[in-house]
Amino acid sequence: MRVAYKDLREFLSVLEQEGQMLRIHDQVLPEPDIAAAACALTEIGENSPAIHFDNIAGFTDARVAMNVHGSWCNHALALGMEKDASMRDQFFEFVRRFQLYPGALERVESAPWQEVVIEKDVNLFEILPLFRLNRGDGGYFIDKACTVSRDLDDWNNDDVENVGIYRLQVKGPNRLGIQTVPQHDIAVHMAHAEERGEDLPVAIALGNEPIITLMGATPLLYTQLEYKMAAVMQGSPYRVVKTAKGLDVPWGAEYVLEGRVLCGVRETEGPFGEFPGYYSGCHKYPVIEIDRVSHRKDPLYDAVYVGRPWTEIDFLQAMTTSAPIFLQLKQTFPEVVAVNALYTHGLVVVVSTKIRYGGFAKYVGLRVLTTTHGLGYAKIVIVVDEDVDPFDLKQVMWAISVKVNPAGDIVTIPNLAENLLDPACSPGGIVTKMIIDATTPVAPDVRGDYGEELDKPENTDQWRTKLQDLIKEMRK
Amino acid sequence: MTSPAGSINPTACPRCRSDEIRTLGKSPVAAVWTIFGCPTCFYAWRSSEPEENVNPDKYPAAFRLRPDGLADLKTVPPVPPRRSAE
Repeated sequence: MRVAYKDLREFLSVLEQEGQMLRIHDQVLPEPDIAAAACALTEIGENSPAIHFDNIAGFTDARVAMNVHGSWCNHALALGMEKDASMRDQFFEFVRRFQLYPGALERVESAPWQEVVIEKDVNLFEILPLFRLNRGDGGYFIDKACTVSRDLDDWNNDDVENVGIYRLQVKGPNRLGIQTVPQHDIAVHMAHAEERGEDLPVAIALGNEPIITLMGATPLLYTQLEYKMAAVMQGSPYRVVKTAKGLDVPWGAEYVLEGRVLCGVRETEGPFGEFPGYYSGCHKYPVIEIDRVSHRKDPLYDAVYVGRPWTEIDFLQAMTTSAPIFLQLKQTFPEVVAVNALYTHGLVVVVSTKIRYGGFAKYVGLRVLTTTHGLGYAKIVIVVDEDVDPFDLKQVMWAISVKVNPAGDIVTIPNLAENLLDPACSPGGIVTKMIIDATTPVAPDVRGDYGEELDKPENTDQWRTKLQDLIKEMRK
Repeated sequence: MTSPAGSINPTACPRCRSDEIRTLGKSPVAAVWTIFGCPTCFYAWRSSEPEENVNPDKYPAAFRLRPDGLADLKTVPPVPPRRSAE
C-alpha cells in the first residue's frame, strides 16, 4: 500500500501525474461557472478528472478544487490502489482495511493550517471562495468539510469524538446553519449539550486529504473514531493537531473554523440540492457561531457538487456505505458474498449470497433492512446468487429478468421508518420497503422451470488474461 | 418591484421580498461583486449571479418563501428539555 497522502495538495499532485486533474486558468465567475463545470464533469464519464480553478472573478488568489473523489479512478487513487482497479476490487479492499480497525492517532503540536489566524471581524464571505451550487439553494454551503465534536458528557473519551460531513449554510459573516439527522453521531453530542444548557464546541476542517473525507461520510458506530478508521485505511497513524478547545483536527487541513453550536437556537435553513436528486426544502436547523478562522498560506478550498445522480457525492457514499452493510450482514449470514449500496446512499441495495436452502434469500434481504444504515435508507433490496456480481448491473438485470416471478419473489413491508430526504416517503419519514428475490429457486422452493444454466467455453479465463495483455500492448 | 441584476442597492429579498437587506461581504478585488443577505429568510445572493437569483421579479416561483410562513417550518432536531439541576 502507498504511503498516506499528507494533505489535499499532495493528493492533487498525484491526480495530476496520473492525468486525473484539470487546471482551469481562464477567469470564471463564482456562479454559475464553478458548479456548471463540476456538473459537466459528472456527465463526461466514470473516469472524469478533478478540476482546479485559480482565477475566480472578484477574488485575489482563491483556489477551488472540485470532483476530487468524482470518478472510480480518483477513488482508487485515494485508497492508494491502481487507478484502473474495478469497483469490485475497490469494495473488497475497502472491506479488508475496514476490518483492521482501530488504527492509531499521531498527535503533533503544530500544523500548516495555523499559519494565518483571524480572530477579529471574521467574514466567511470574504475569507472563503464560496459559490452557489444549484440555483434553488438558499445560499452558499460548505459541503465537504469535516465537522469535529466531542461529547460534553464524556469529554476525554477519544472513541466518541466525531468527524462528520454535514452541510453548512453560510448565513452570516460568522454564522452557519448545520443539518444533522438523528442517525448522525453529532446529533447525540448536540442533544447532550442542549440538555446541559451549554453551547457545543466544534472545529470545522476544510480542504482535507481524501481518506478522512471518505471516513466522514462512512456510517461508523458511535464508539468508532473516524481518525482511527482513516489510519487503517491509509496504513499509518492518522496525524492530528488539537485545537485550544481540545478537538482533534486533521494536520493537513487547509482551513479550520472554530466555533460553537448555539444552545437552543434554530433558524431557517435551506433548501439545498441534496443527494436524492431533489431540493431538501427549508427547516429550522441549529446554528454555529464561528469565533476563529485559521488557514494555510494560499489556501485551497474544496467542495462537492451535488446534483441528479450520479455526481461526486455518489462516490463519497459508495464503498463507504456498502462496506458497513456488508460486514453487519455477514455477521448474521456468512453466506453473503458482496454488497452494492452505491445507489443514492443505499436507497437501493444489491446483495449477492450463497443460498442455504429454498426461501433463504428473502431473509438475507430482510436483514439488510435491519442493519444500522438499512434502517434509515435501504428501501429496495435486490438479492442475487453468489455467481452474480452485484457491481455489474448487466448481470443484476439478467438475474432480475429471468429469476424473478413477481407472484412469489416480491416482498413489500408497509410503513417502515425512512430518511426524511427520501422524497417517496408518505408521510415524511415513513415508506414501504421491498425485497426482490432474484436468486434461482432451490428446494424446497421448487417454483419455475430452471434447466441447465449456460456456462463458459473451456479456457475462457486464460484467454481473457491473454487478450487483456495484448489489447493493452496494442493501445500503448 | 424591480431590482436589476447586479444592482448595488437591492430593495427587496429575491426570495421572500422582505425589504430589510444586509450587505454580507464585498469582493476582495474592489467592485466586482457584493454579497447581500436577507435577515428574515436567510437567503443570500451575489450581485454577479444570474438574474433569477438576484431579481425578485425573476426569482423562480418554486423556491419563493413567505415571511409569515417561516414560523411553521419544522424544527429539526427539537430542542430537548434541560436536565434538572441536582
